[in-house]
Order: sequence, then structure tokens, then C-alpha cells
Amino acid sequence: MAGTIRAQYPASIRPVRVLCTARVSADMVMRAFNRGADGVIIGG
Amino acid sequence: MLETQRNPNIELFTLSEVVDVQGYVGNFEIEILQHARYTNDDCNGCGSCFEVCPATNPCGFDQGMKPQQAIYLAFSQAVPMRAQIDMDACIKCGNCQNVCELHAVNFDQKDTRFKVKVGGIIMATGWDEYEPEYGYLGYGKFENVITQLSLERMLAPNGPVVGHLHRPSDGKPPESVLFVQCVGSRDINRNVYCSSGVCCMVSIKNAKLVKSHDPSIEVVVAYIDIRAAGKGYEEYYTASRKEGVKFIRSKVGRIREDSRTGNLKVVLEDTLSPDKTIREYEFDMVVLSAAMMPSRTFDKLNEVMNLSKHTSGFLKEFHQRLNTVDTDVPGIVLAGACHGPKAISESIMQAKGAASSIGKLLSNGEYRISLIRAISDETKCARCGMCADACTYHAITISREKGAIVDNILCRGCGLCVSVCPSEAITVRYYRGEQYESQIDAILIDALKEGGSS
Repeated sequence: MAGTIRAQYPASIRPVRVLCTARVSADMVMRAFNRGADGVIIGG
Repeated sequence: MLETQRNPNIELFTLSEVVDVQGYVGNFEIEILQHARYTNDDCNGCGSCFEVCPATNPCGFDQGMKPQQAIYLAFSQAVPMRAQIDMDACIKCGNCQNVCELHAVNFDQKDTRFKVKVGGIIMATGWDEYEPEYGYLGYGKFENVITQLSLERMLAPNGPVVGHLHRPSDGKPPESVLFVQCVGSRDINRNVYCSSGVCCMVSIKNAKLVKSHDPSIEVVVAYIDIRAAGKGYEEYYTASRKEGVKFIRSKVGRIREDSRTGNLKVVLEDTLSPDKTIREYEFDMVVLSAAMMPSRTFDKLNEVMNLSKHTSGFLKEFHQRLNTVDTDVPGIVLAGACHGPKAISESIMQAKGAASSIGKLLSNGEYRISLIRAISDETKCARCGMCADACTYHAITISREKGAIVDNILCRGCGLCVSVCPSEAITVRYYRGEQYESQIDAILIDALKEGGSS
């Protein structure tokens, strides 16, 4: 989506492809924070 | 419609609504509620009962401009050509029963419910005209402010005034008519969308019709932009200007009524004039070109259909550019204005696409599904039922013995069940929890090394 609308975003963003935002559980978000992520964007 | 009725391969249920939908592509089971018509198949729509019926209601088809008997024909080309009784208006005098030589009237008919099995569903629920709120541009408050649909009926040769245009307040033929475009559309306080130029073209058509009835009538269209996008539409627009229809680019500021004459005083800003003149004009009649809205009864139907909607309220297609016919539910496709505002030609185009999409699906005889589906581990499953409640597609059932059972055809592999399962018993094939975990870990190790994140 960010690509299609030609949005600029920092190079340090790492996408994880999910089938649907519904699949994103609190565990996954917490794990990312645990491993040192600054923020998590759930986009769909 | 008549062809549909005559086609031996098509079964037509009128006065009916869908009350339940079960199953999936290729095997839908639809429950239909057919309302009682109170006449049987012998009725041939001759109309002798209408003449003796003493009870009346405002006629819905003619926008309430004419009374209608309690026993009536929905409209003159109705299919099937059979009378029906409006039980809210009927006083059960029995006159219709006495006069009917075919013994077709039956007051004891009841609504019936039955089920049909189908392989695919074409949504064609259509649209309704936006109803401006009371007082907006004088609607409802001033008799001579009407909407486009009412004008449409007035101009119809079989309408309430047999095509002779007159204004509602005093029945006189109007000397000047103003069409106001974008009423309830292209308006951030009402509907943001444009009704796809349909109202532009309808206004131009009706403006031309009014002019052809009497060229001395002054016809003005107040518009934001004329959206004449379509084959031959621009030429049609140009022709209307040549015939003397005036176009003023403006939004209407205010409409007042001259209580003595019933005329309407309209404030318009001519934005194309060099000094952007704001002037008060006087018209005998004002026609509001109201927006196209999704059918009013659609939300009730969607309680059982569960289809996704666009923010405008119209149904959402599979892909905005690449597939505007299918929905995201296999076996359910779209045709016409239920998908968005559109004109007749585009509706027919989409309908043909919808028919072919369903035809292709059904003639194949088999339907391939992706293997990306939820799978449940019965040894871990606590049978709590949270996944079944969360599932948008109603694909999960809970059994005491086997735990969560996923229907592989209904399941779309979204993974909502996985994120709500407290015991990690349900996963999506090829997209398991561990895979995501490893992916997140790997990404963050890299990111830390690069120093992009701290």
C-alpha cells in the first residue's frame, strides 16, 4: 500500500506479511517490542 | 422482466425477500419469505376490482402524487400482471371479491417461507433516491420543490398527470424550472461521492423534455460540474444547450417561497461570470437532483448476507480496478447500483459480467480452493468456542469430541481464529505462529545490527 501511494517511509521499517490484519495477535506485537522494535504499525 | 418470467429455466419469486443464507459457493441454501399477494394465479390484472375498491393510500410508484386503491397493480408493466392488496389500507369490504369473475381474490392467503438451493448469488438490490431532510433547499416545506423522481413521474405519459407538467401548489403549468444538481452528493455533510454523473444526465434529459413540451418554459440547471462522461453524453449536453437550456455554475445558497404566488426565490452565485454575481432569481418550480443511495432495505438483507461495504454504503467489489464484478465471497457477485451509483448501460455491462462469472463457476463442476486454511489440533483445543464466535465467515463449529472443526470451503484463511485462541490450538497452514515468531526475531536482529533501531 505504501508503495502504491508512493509514500516515503524510513528504511528501518521491516514488513511482515500477514494474510489478514485479523491474524495479528497481541503476542506477536509484544514479541516485536520484546526484541527491541520501537513501534509496530498494523496496516491493512 | 417479462422475458425473465417467460423463460422456462428461470423461477421468479415476486413480493419476496431473502431471510436466511446458509452454505457456500456451489451449495447455497436460501430461505425466502414470500409475502401474501391476496390474489391467486387466475388473476389477469384486468383491473375491474380497482374500480370498486373504496379504500385508498398514496401511490408509492407515483411518488404519492396520486391515490391508489387498496387493491392495485404495482405499476402498469408489472410482472406478474396480477393485482395485490395493501392490507394496511384494505377495509375488507369484499367488493373486489364480488366483482372478480375469475374468483382470484383471497383474503386468507398467508405469507409463506420456503428454501431453495442455488450454486451462486447475483446481488442486484439497486438504489434509492436520497431524501433531503425537511427544509433543506425548501424540500418538504415548499410544495413546488420536488425531487427528480417526482418530476420523472410527472413527465411520464402514464404518470399521475399524464405527462402534462404542472406545479404541485396550484396545478398551473410552470413558466420557469430550476434543476439543482448534487443534492446530497459531493457534499461533505451528506454523501461525499458523486452519483457517477447519472443525475447530470437525468437532469439534462428532463430539461430537454420540459423544453420539448413547451419551448417557452425557461429551464435552468444549477451545477458544480456537468459530468457527461460516456459515449454520446457530451453531444447530448451540447444539444440541450442549443435547445435553450441554461446552465449556471453555482451552488444554491438559499431558497425562499413567495407565499402569495408560490414562486421560489433562489439565490445563486454565477461563478463563471466575471464579477461572480450573486443574484436572486425567481422560479415557478425547483427540481432537486438527489443523490443515488444504496437501497433502503439493503442493511436488513445484509444481516444475513454479511457482505463487506464501502464507506459510501455501497457493496464492496473484489478489486476496485481488476475485478469489479465479484465480491470477496466466492459465489456471490454484483450487478448494478448495489455496487455503486451507475447508469443503465453500465449496470447491464456489469450484469453480463456477473452472469458470466457465475456461469463459469457453475459450468466447471468443481471448485478449487487454496490450502491456506485454518487447522485445529484437537488435543490442544479446549472447546471454548472463541474461534467460532470470532469467525466472520461462520466456518468453525465446535464438537465435544473433535474440538474446533473448520469448514475448508467457508474458511478464507484470514487467521482471526488463531489470534483469539487462548490455547494455541488453531493455526493457519503455511502461516504458523512459529514461522511468524522466527520472522519477527530475524528481522529485529538484522535491524539491530544495522543500527536502524535501538
